[in-house]
Amino acid sequence: MGDIIKLVGKRLGLGLLILLIISIIIFFMVELLPGDIAQAVLGQGATAENLKALRTKMGLDDPAIVRYLAWLADAVTFDFGRSIVTDEKVTTIIGERFANTLFLAAYAAVIAVPVSIILGVVVALLRNSVFDKVANVVTLSFISSPEFFLGYILILYFSVKWGIFPSIASLSDSMSFWELLNRTFLPALTLVLVVMAHMMRMTRAAIINLLASPYIEMAKLKGAPPWKVIVKHALPNAWAPIINVIALNLAYLITGVVLVEVVFVYPGIGQALVDAVSKRDFPVVQACCLIFAATFILLNLAADVGAILTNPRLRHPK
Amino acid sequence: MTNAKDQVLLDRLAEAARSGSISRRSFMNTAMAAGITSTAATGLWTSSAKAEPSRGGTFRLGAHDGNTSDTHDPGTYVTFSMIQVAHTYRAYLTLIEPDGSLGPDVASEWSATPDAKEWTFVINDKATFHSGKKVTANDVIASMNHHRGDETTSAAKALLSDVEDITDNGDGSVTFVLGAGNADLPWLMTDYHLPIVPANEDGTANWQSGDGCGPYKLDNAEFGVRYSFSRHDDWHLDGAYFDAVEIIVLNDPNARQTALVTGDVDAVTQIELKTLALLQRDPNIAIDNVPSAAAITMPMLCDVDPFTNVDVRNALKLSVNRQELIDKIAFGAATIGNDFHHSPAMPYWPEDIPQREYDPDEAKSLLKKAGMEDLTVNISVADSVFSGAVDMCVLYAEHAKAAGITINVSREPNDGYYSDVWLKKPWCAVQWGARPTPDVMYSLAYKDDAAWNESHWQNERFNVLLRQAKAELDNDKRAEMYAEMAMLARNDGGTVIPFFPNFVYARRTNVQHGENLAASWQMDGARACSRWWFEA
Amino acid sequence: MSFFVVGYYALLLVTSCLAAYFNQRQAFLVLFSLTLVSFVLGIVGGVPALRAVATCAGLLLFAGMIAYAFREFLIYLSSDDMGKELRTAPLTAAFGMFVIFTYAIMGIFAPWIAPHGEAEVISSAFAPADENMLLGADQLGRDMFSRIVFGARNTVALALVGTTLAFILGAMAGLLAATKGGFFDGVMGRTADVIMSIPSLIFALLMLSIFGGSLAAPSTSFWLLTGFFCVVGLLFLAAAAEGAMGWLIGAAIAVGVAVGLALFGTSIFNASEVILILVVAIIYSPRVYRLTRAVAGNVVVMDYIEAAKLRGEGNWYLIRREILPNSTAPLIAEFGLEFCFVFLLIAGLSFLGLGIQPPTADWGSMVRENATLISFGDITPLIPAGAIALLTVAVNFVVDWMLHRSSGLKE
Repeated sequence: MGDIIKLVGKRLGLGLLILLIISIIIFFMVELLPGDIAQAVLGQGATAENLKALRTKMGLDDPAIVRYLAWLADAVTFDFGRSIVTDEKVTTIIGERFANTLFLAAYAAVIAVPVSIILGVVVALLRNSVFDKVANVVTLSFISSPEFFLGYILILYFSVKWGIFPSIASLSDSMSFWELLNRTFLPALTLVLVVMAHMMRMTRAAIINLLASPYIEMAKLKGAPPWKVIVKHALPNAWAPIINVIALNLAYLITGVVLVEVVFVYPGIGQALVDAVSKRDFPVVQACCLIFAATFILLNLAADVGAILTNPRLRHPK
Repeated sequence: MTNAKDQVLLDRLAEAARSGSISRRSFMNTAMAAGITSTAATGLWTSSAKAEPSRGGTFRLGAHDGNTSDTHDPGTYVTFSMIQVAHTYRAYLTLIEPDGSLGPDVASEWSATPDAKEWTFVINDKATFHSGKKVTANDVIASMNHHRGDETTSAAKALLSDVEDITDNGDGSVTFVLGAGNADLPWLMTDYHLPIVPANEDGTANWQSGDGCGPYKLDNAEFGVRYSFSRHDDWHLDGAYFDAVEIIVLNDPNARQTALVTGDVDAVTQIELKTLALLQRDPNIAIDNVPSAAAITMPMLCDVDPFTNVDVRNALKLSVNRQELIDKIAFGAATIGNDFHHSPAMPYWPEDIPQREYDPDEAKSLLKKAGMEDLTVNISVADSVFSGAVDMCVLYAEHAKAAGITINVSREPNDGYYSDVWLKKPWCAVQWGARPTPDVMYSLAYKDDAAWNESHWQNERFNVLLRQAKAELDNDKRAEMYAEMAMLARNDGGTVIPFFPNFVYARRTNVQHGENLAASWQMDGARACSRWWFEA
Repeated sequence: MSFFVVGYYALLLVTSCLAAYFNQRQAFLVLFSLTLVSFVLGIVGGVPALRAVATCAGLLLFAGMIAYAFREFLIYLSSDDMGKELRTAPLTAAFGMFVIFTYAIMGIFAPWIAPHGEAEVISSAFAPADENMLLGADQLGRDMFSRIVFGARNTVALALVGTTLAFILGAMAGLLAATKGGFFDGVMGRTADVIMSIPSLIFALLMLSIFGGSLAAPSTSFWLLTGFFCVVGLLFLAAAAEGAMGWLIGAAIAVGVAVGLALFGTSIFNASEVILILVVAIIYSPRVYRLTRAVAGNVVVMDYIEAAKLRGEGNWYLIRREILPNSTAPLIAEFGLEFCFVFLLIAGLSFLGLGIQPPTADWGSMVRENATLISFGDITPLIPAGAIALLTVAVNFVVDWMLHRSSGLKE
């Protein structure tokens, strides 16, 4: 176990380095973006003097590097500053929204991950049967249309035609937990459908890839029933790619759901990021991107540790 | 009591009130002129007017275009949802009535010196802020000064650039002193950037508190998400029938439609035109389709080849089939354009200017005259200009083929379109919001030295007329000048104006409104919350 | 009791009895359970429900027959060895191949197949289907069928090239990282992390900001493409070249090949399409990298690799002969899916104004433009969505078959 802890420590350190690099990239990217913040804030209607006044007020007259270093100096003390546009604290702007995003991602993941792994194992067991084909066709059809389109179809049936679930997932503080689950069911379902095919097919592929291995043959010859061969013998060795795909999709659930948020009017962090980018509101963009990056790094680390834990041979690289 | 002649007049007035062709204000004025007391006139109005408002209920409005970084600062209002919110909790000096006339708001009356250089606004003594404080001249001056001076960051600075001084007359009125005469100043006061906010001790405007003197008091604001309001009982005007109002930001067109269909909201802004016909089939939903002064323009830079040649400009204007654009891009919800930026929804619209038709043969001969057959030009456009903008240019390119013109449509990034493409690329597509008067519009985007002279068009006669018309208080003379200017823009200008899009919004049928809808913004001039009511 | 209902049940019962008689267990189970379900459906949904079931069954049967005939056709055409392989293909895979073949024909011969031009306006908006327009008209009155045909050409070509580039770059880097390990592995891994942790929307905006105004400049796209190929070449070099001389010669060849490929690329695609392809390749390659690294990482620790290393084999041999063959299956499976994601990404990018230039047809954007119509049960946006779904399913059917073959299972 000791070497794993060492690995985790090393990777966390590297993670901080990555965050630093990303903050630099994002900063200069926002700088490079066409148009500027004053223009974006005042819209089509701004004059040259207006823009100048606003730029001064927002402290945009300093050279970029100075502003970046100033931001960095605050950021290392976990002070992410104030929005340039609204002058509110960045943490208050995105704090609640990030919690909402996490909630939705967790909701979708709790359904999607077990279902797709179980489904993947079942279709690997029943490979080439009618069930396998049907499951494949259905899940593949789901990911073939853009997710917002999928959302529209779900809204059409579940809320307009049948009236089972609300079409707008707007939240309020007074909601009970069940009400919350009911309100956010459609966006969660959309996300489940979007990520399920990927995980299910990867589970199926990774298991089938192992089925011709000698040790599986051995297990079969021993007379173990097919489900036992797959669950007990094949699955443990197939975890590495599966965990990787799960990590990818979990990260997607957190960082890639802007369109679902828009379609269901869900107050998540994606919308805040898009708004901030359109206004060139650098501190907010930076904070959102760093949150996303940290999510990625942690999930990837978890995936790598998971892969090592499930394959003892990886623990002792030669 | 009243003689026969007055009785006829009163009958006519009552008829006009019933059909909704007259506003309450003009009804009252005329009726009182005919010799009845104001109480009697009010009684007559309520008994005659077709629909009778009833009070009560919570009005939930789904609004498009909201952004997380919206703020209370009136100088940086830019999204439509914020404009809608502003008209609900704040009030302006003047307002645009549903019939398109100018009406009183915080200012109960106004008058000008004959040269239109000094305007005096009398403040309604009933106007109060939600905090209970009376609206005073100080508040008005502070609110206006927020948009003036070198330090200001307000987008409305250009509007008030002529204003040299604003003085408190000490009798509950303020006087605006202008550098040059401007007959349209009271109209400018309806601009959404210029609400009246309370003044601080030091004479600056206190916009941060979210206090206002509008029909509803803001209870809670989550910017870019939702806003809730309750009625301001001491509001100085009539209306505000709903007990409470909720404005929910629904940026996705599909989300707005389904929320309306399922009854999660009572009204929504901006219906997607593609689905208009389908939405109309729902018996619970009523659609309001209001011709507006907003415009789609395609300015060519008149100082960049080949647009320097007026024949080329006119050939391009001739080679677009406007009716087909209206049918396929606006799905019928638009007024046809005629290449001058003056819509029938604005005052002084010149009626007798011949409509320019699609005529590829004429375009061809103009190009031949210019020696530019087989003309190839690029047009820049982005999806964000308006829904269908790219399709519009693709269709235009198809039309222009018949005239031997090749138009390459270049789709530009949405993000930063107005800073990188507009005013920079030689030909692009632009959407303009509704402006109250032709003077505002022409001064903004067609005047020779305007920062946004989007076509770089220089026409001496046009600019002379523009300056004259601005200070002209005689309406007939003004109308003549605007007609001549329209002709100049149409035949010499560098802007193709295919159509003026309508405002199309929808409500559930239990929501009622008066016979007319203001054309200044969506949702009855963004005043649906104070003008509409629930069916009893 | 209409004639249809009687015929429906009679057919089902007769076929299930036949299946039972000839000992076709699976067929019997399917048919008989369908009969039982039909009883319930018939009571609940009435004749329309039964008709829907019959239509679906008919379509399936039709697809099956096409697949069967197409497989026989391929076997007839190909050599004996190939024929033997093809005989093992299940009907689903044959169907997949048929769809891919049809799309390929459609794409290559689009101008001759499509009855109307890509941008040609021939009727009113959303005109219904008639004998002139197979699938009706789109929002501008252009023929939907012609747009789908041209869309096959534009979308599939772009997606295929983009995904392939992403795979070459990502898989090569992944394999190399797994073999070399150590510092190289660390650097590649962190680079992939950096690219992946920037949300793709923001990343696309970055691309915009860099190439912003010059999107249409052919020279920019040429240099970018050359640069991209040089990076790929470098990876190959790192794997294959030995000694200073090897590096030198290799580098010269790589640069030559890169320039050649870039010239070829820019001659086929226009500038904005090249940039689109690069965006796709760069956004997707880290995903491929991570997967390859994980799979190859499992292979590298196997004893046979150790044995090969002891034999003194070089990296290139290890990658080519030992690691790659043992990690193809998950990579192929991934390819099938990523291919589909790329369609959607292209549609998403056109949302930012970075996509294919109008009036060129692409399926993703065709879905996006009319998506709201679906809320009223109008099927216009379903047509291009269906085209994408059919191709995705088809590609994955073929992938499944290849997966099955490469796993060495003999059942």
